[in-house]
Amino acid sequence: MAKHPVKLTVNGDEHDLLIEPRKTLLAVLRDTIGLTGTKEGCSTGDCGACTVIVDGKAVTSCMVLGVTASGKEITTIEGLASDGELHPVQQAFIDTGGYQCGFCTPGFIMASKVLIDENPDRSEEEFRHALGGNICRCTGYTKILEAVLKAAEEIRTTG
Amino acid sequence: MSEYSVVGQKVKRVDAVEKVTGAAQYGADVHPPGMLYGKIVRSKHAHANIRSIDTSEAEKLPGVRAIITQDDVPSGRRVFATDKVLYLGEPLAAVAATDPDIAEEAAELIEIDYEVLPVVQDVMESIKPSAPRLHSDDTKDGPNRREITGQIRQLSRDKENDHSDEISKLEAELENYADEVYYNISAESHSEAGDVEKGFAECDVVVEDTYVIPRVHQTYMEPHVSVASADSSGKITVWASTQGPFAIRSGIAGTLGIPLTQINVIGTTMGGGFGGRFGVIITHVPAVLLSQKTGRPVRVQMTREEEFIDGRPAPGCVIKLKTGATKDGRILARQALAFWDSGSVSGASIGSTIRVRGVYKIPNLKIDAYGVHTNKSGTAAYRAPGAPQAIFAGESQLDEIAERIGMDPVKFRLMNMREEGDQVPAGGEEPKVGYKETLEAVADAAGWWDREAGENQGWGVAVGDWTNGCGPGGVYVSVHEDGSVRIFHGSMDITGTDTAISQIIAEILTVPYGSVTIRRGDTDSAPYSTGSGGSVVTFTMGNTAKLAAEDAHRRVLELASERLNTNVENLELKEGAVHVVSAEPPKSISLGELAAYSLSTTGGPIVGKGSFARQPSTPALAAQIAKVEVDPETGRTRVLKLVASQDVGFAINPMAVEGQIEGGTVQGYAWAMMEEMQYNENGNVNPGFVDYRVPTSADLPTVESVIVEVPAPNGPYGAKGVGEPPITPTLATMANAVKDAIGVRITELPIKPEKVVDALKSNGHSP
Repeated sequence: MAKHPVKLTVNGDEHDLLIEPRKTLLAVLRDTIGLTGTKEGCSTGDCGACTVIVDGKAVTSCMVLGVTASGKEITTIEGLASDGELHPVQQAFIDTGGYQCGFCTPGFIMASKVLIDENPDRSEEEFRHALGGNICRCTGYTKILEAVLKAAEEIRTTG
Repeated sequence: MSEYSVVGQKVKRVDAVEKVTGAAQYGADVHPPGMLYGKIVRSKHAHANIRSIDTSEAEKLPGVRAIITQDDVPSGRRVFATDKVLYLGEPLAAVAATDPDIAEEAAELIEIDYEVLPVVQDVMESIKPSAPRLHSDDTKDGPNRREITGQIRQLSRDKENDHSDEISKLEAELENYADEVYYNISAESHSEAGDVEKGFAECDVVVEDTYVIPRVHQTYMEPHVSVASADSSGKITVWASTQGPFAIRSGIAGTLGIPLTQINVIGTTMGGGFGGRFGVIITHVPAVLLSQKTGRPVRVQMTREEEFIDGRPAPGCVIKLKTGATKDGRILARQALAFWDSGSVSGASIGSTIRVRGVYKIPNLKIDAYGVHTNKSGTAAYRAPGAPQAIFAGESQLDEIAERIGMDPVKFRLMNMREEGDQVPAGGEEPKVGYKETLEAVADAAGWWDREAGENQGWGVAVGDWTNGCGPGGVYVSVHEDGSVRIFHGSMDITGTDTAISQIIAEILTVPYGSVTIRRGDTDSAPYSTGSGGSVVTFTMGNTAKLAAEDAHRRVLELASERLNTNVENLELKEGAVHVVSAEPPKSISLGELAAYSLSTTGGPIVGKGSFARQPSTPALAAQIAKVEVDPETGRTRVLKLVASQDVGFAINPMAVEGQIEGGTVQGYAWAMMEEMQYNENGNVNPGFVDYRVPTSADLPTVESVIVEVPAPNGPYGAKGVGEPPITPTLATMANAVKDAIGVRITELPIKPEKVVDALKSNGHSP
């Protein structure tokens, strides 16, 4: 199958790639670039495990073709910590025990980061609904919500 | 104030950073150079004879490197179906190609000629002699018609209270097949205590119901995956997403007829398992066969759809249950007849039907259970296998009895609960347990005693018991020159167990938790370890870790005795150093100094070894209370409050224990309210998250967890296994709350809105 030139900026690094048009952004990130932190849980956009940030928005990368992401800025879970410091959302997931098996965690963290960036003042109920596109099977969500609220509080107070 | 400094604390988990940064390596993250992508070719019919499999077109596709069928399995052990398929999705062949999309395309190009056969998906249909027969060799030892109809008759005597006449109708129908045997029965299990006939005769109230529990999927978030690499010498390496690397090793060896030592299984970080991640054939064996044939590493990764059609989910079942009590609240007799849907192979957890006895003093008990074949994939364990189903029936019916005799459901349960020394029906003697403490704790925490309910609101309570398993394990501990401690073992971390093991070893060697690191080996290097399922890990590996640390502790004192020139009896290890007891001036030597010294001694480095297999474990109780509000027009149930207590023996890491309770409770909620694998004559019809709904954060409120600690005599620090109990009572908790809210008893799960509306209608409620 003919390949198309694609330029992606992922976690600040530029990648000039040749991609088959049928490859999803998820496949490009994992198989071509080798960033395997983003997970594939359903391939149908229902579980949120593959959530990455594309131009500031949370996107299920299994539902986007790699070629259509050309020219965009992408952040994956690997790009969230900076200068050896965990992002407050990552730290909050550790502090509250907001993960268990960890497979859904990168997607939850990316989705939560965007939600908090948009509006850290959401109530628990609002975060519960806003995170409805991400599935976790281990935690029952109680400690995930604790983590998100803790991170929101942290980001609100420190800016 | 705890007497311990590391165990019992909410420490940060050992895998914290790798799990929040994407660094943890799961099965599909393994990518050896030259790796090919495998794809399994699956049956498109639920029951069919296979006339032919034509791979010629697929072989021509550029990028295809190998196609295998059962002919390519040298041992002859069944990996792929040959002449007949028994369910939609059954593997028929496998492809390896240079790209996953090419592998998928090739799989589609393989032509299979089917002769479609009649299908049976319902256990109550399947046990009829007229049903399509799945296996031709099931006639020899199967129970005959007389046995089963006799059991049905005995149960159906009291028809007055029967809400469902399904089994009674079956009885009439079976009369037409006087002497025929039952073909589709895969297994049976029977147990008895006392005399149920006599017991029921003495009861003032007898209730009988039929409970129907659906097949549900464990729905671990990481689909099955394995990467296999066979080298030119025949050595096989398998990176496997599994709960039990050693079981996978012996499974591959047995299936392919190759020696254990030729296989190395490397367990990758596990994206959830819940009992469903032990299967050998699902991806591991096909990956090995493809790698052997191509000489290249091969990854076989299931899609979510494949998980639904060819995973090994939890069995559904039909349980006919009858319970009798006196009007002052003593349960005298209980009888169950259960038909478990084991799918196309045997293996459903039918023995768990005994769990209908609950934690109560029931002097007369009779259980008859059968595994029944249908045209579905086989089943496997799911968090306390079989218990949620049986306990749903038992605890639902208990509330019906309580209502009829006018007793509070919590008081009724407390009154009948077994205590230490009581006889367990069809079991041994009850050890010291925390049944009453746990139920009282949840009742207090939830505000049960002064509960209020608005219109269409209700409260439900239920309890569920489970006893953790136990198995062999080995652990090594090394103490290094800088005072740090390294743990080495072979058991898969099941969401926090590596942390618990590290805490135990830090506690015994009196070092900070942060100076302990833990490493899991592969099956080539690590000591044997039982699989991470059955809530065994904290109990087994915790005990093993304790033995290893105590062994290292002995060596530390021995070295200190040489260095400090005094008897071991005068020495004490605390805060990472050995001190001479009541020496003036104080005299001590650090662990690091002792480790450095040990390198030049005759006895050698500080290495502790722990090896453990079995100790009696103690039952644990989970007790839950839910407050719900049901909308009688839409039938939708909203949870207002969900409180879960559990006797955990001792919480080595309370944060992890709470996480287990919360997660298990929500899985139970989902089984009660939303999850159901649906089948028709074509097979599974809801193989994805749109049609098979699992809960999201939007479906539930915060789960409040309450830890109760009644120590287990043989558990490490009194700990019991915590993973499985919390799912066991939730199904009944929800059904009991719905009953309390709107007055209708739902006996067939899940409690979907349409079912609630229908039940209200047939109860005379006009919307």
